[in-house]
Amino acid sequence: MSSRKNSSGIGALFRLDLGELVAARSFWLLLAMIGPLVGQAFITAVASYAEASGAGGGPAALAQGLSPLDGIVVPTFGAYDLAVTFLLPFVAIRLLAAERESGAALLLAQGRVSLPARLAVKLAVLGLGGLAAAIPGLLALGLWRSYGGHLGGAETANVLLGHLLHALLATGIAFAAAAVCRSSASAAIATLGLTVGGWALDFIAAGRSGWIAEAALFTPAAALRRFEQGDLSIALLAALAVATLGALGFAAFELDLYAGPEKRHLRAGLAIVLAVGAIGGIAGISTLRAGWDLSEDRRSSFSRADEAALRQIEKPVKVSANLAAEDPRLTDLERNVLSKLRRVLPDFSVTLAAAGRSGLFDGPGYGEVWYQVGTKRAMLRSTIEPVVLAQLYELAGVAPPASDSDPAYPGYPLAAFPRGAAPLFYIAWPLVAGLAFFTRDRWRSK
Amino acid sequence: MTTRRPAPSASAASIPSNADLLAVAGLGKSYGRRRVLDAVSFSVRPGEVLGLVGPNGAGKTTLFSCLAGILPTAPEDAGRVVDGQGRTLPPGGRRDLLFFLPDGILPWPEQSLDQLLARWRDLWGAPSTREPSLETLLERLDLKRLRGAAAESLSKGERKRFLLALSLLTPQPLLLLDEPFDGLDLRQTRDVAALLKEVAAAGRTLFLSIHQLVDAGRVCDRIVMLADGKVAGVGTLDELRERAGLVQGTLEEVFLVLT
Repeated sequence: MSSRKNSSGIGALFRLDLGELVAARSFWLLLAMIGPLVGQAFITAVASYAEASGAGGGPAALAQGLSPLDGIVVPTFGAYDLAVTFLLPFVAIRLLAAERESGAALLLAQGRVSLPARLAVKLAVLGLGGLAAAIPGLLALGLWRSYGGHLGGAETANVLLGHLLHALLATGIAFAAAAVCRSSASAAIATLGLTVGGWALDFIAAGRSGWIAEAALFTPAAALRRFEQGDLSIALLAALAVATLGALGFAAFELDLYAGPEKRHLRAGLAIVLAVGAIGGIAGISTLRAGWDLSEDRRSSFSRADEAALRQIEKPVKVSANLAAEDPRLTDLERNVLSKLRRVLPDFSVTLAAAGRSGLFDGPGYGEVWYQVGTKRAMLRSTIEPVVLAQLYELAGVAPPASDSDPAYPGYPLAAFPRGAAPLFYIAWPLVAGLAFFTRDRWRSK
Repeated sequence: MTTRRPAPSASAASIPSNADLLAVAGLGKSYGRRRVLDAVSFSVRPGEVLGLVGPNGAGKTTLFSCLAGILPTAPEDAGRVVDGQGRTLPPGGRRDLLFFLPDGILPWPEQSLDQLLARWRDLWGAPSTREPSLETLLERLDLKRLRGAAAESLSKGERKRFLLALSLLTPQPLLLLDEPFDGLDLRQTRDVAALLKEVAAAGRTLFLSIHQLVDAGRVCDRIVMLADGKVAGVGTLDELRERAGLVQGTLEEVFLVLT
């Protein structure tokens, strides 16, 4: 087969699949709904941000606490989390399952385009649809800028990357479900089942340590939260890529009509086992915990001087926190100290020693947090960053940095009214999507 | 339903001569304990129109699916499928030689005919001179007036002609068409039969599964008769008559004797 013929075949297949996407009502439903969803999130976010910024004569929140990442970008793009969880799987399943149910898969299987290439074409077509669906989110960011709002380039791009990878993983899972289930309905149930399973894992792992907590860091919802906090972790990127490829590999093996059922299931199962093993390996390799804190306020990092000092600690650092899952001090400790230490220290582990979830019935040692560097140990009850760091420097015998030279995050208060947003997202967008849907036969024939 | 019995080994079955485009020996298939194909052996000659006839449930569609490789068989039933050079073709290695058009499918139902056919043609690359052009096919299959119609809006006969157009745009030398006349009226059947004869005359080989014996007699050069999953006879009408002991028998009479 010549590469020229192959590329023309892929082009034709792309047009066929694009035709299927345009024909799918589920895609148009997604497109029509994403505008109002994004709009509602954006309008609420702008109004809340304005209130916090002192609109209407009220007291402004401390300016340093006003970050457009938390106040605008994350809530606005939260609508995409909803769409990717509840709408995108149906579009992806439809694209694959309809091909099998209509008999098109039988014809294409005999063609020149390989199965992986066919799946890649479907991904590309969904990517094009995703670009159309991303327009409302980008319009919202444009509106925010037009109000005079600030956007941090790296942190905003990181959120977009998180949603992109989340969508790719959701598509991979939907393809895998569509490949193994006999009907679209079963595939949808299986996909939603996996999503709910991820949520359950998040819930179960809250406040626990060990493998279950490590596993919960890689659920789609938890992964997205890390991107939303400006965290770009190599391990997370690798795990999401492996999970997506594993799901796509599972789908490709299950869809191979030329292999017998046993061979199909064996190969597909092996793809999942390999992917899970690889993700386990990624989670276990501490060097892969490295990454970048792309948030403009460096919320996931110590000051650069402290990070340099902490990197001098070569001995293993262990933390044993006798705090319950629902204790707000544990949340503070995790956010202020532990998450930052994970990114800096090469050999770092945390154990949660409390028995209960509330801490109400725990023993006298409740509330103690033990820090161990090498063989030296010390106990603290404070969850405040400078106090903990001072203790760690003392245990490690490392000189604390002289001063914090990082410029302070200024914060970006803005009391803006979301003008133009309601008509754009609630009226214009659904109208355009509806018009495109009802006239699609006319424009796609051109 | 037939009881399962050991299939003869492929090597024991006769592999026809090198002049054949495709030879099948010892092919079998079971669905659970139900034996659907049993030691099927026959050959396909280049440029011929070969018919596969048999009563409902004889295993015609199963045979086509197994031949195309899209319906897996157990290793002991795999038999041998060899090409004209004597090379054994594994299930996934038959795509360059043959294309199977199943019956009762409606691919890409919401897209318009002209878009679908053009994209399908492009999917296979530039057509050789052997395949009719898209315009010719639309004309000959009376699909021109339906160009902008969605496939799902077509009648049964129109759908069949659309599917035939899809199959005739593929480049493989051998076409396996499952019930190509099903749903067509008399005039359309005659037109399609004439078109298929022309396609075969241009060098393409056709293997047609047909349950209407009149249609089979009209278009096929040779016939494979299948009954209860076994080959009951292979040959031209005269050869089958001889086998059935009916010198002047019609295809229907021969069929009733042999099956």
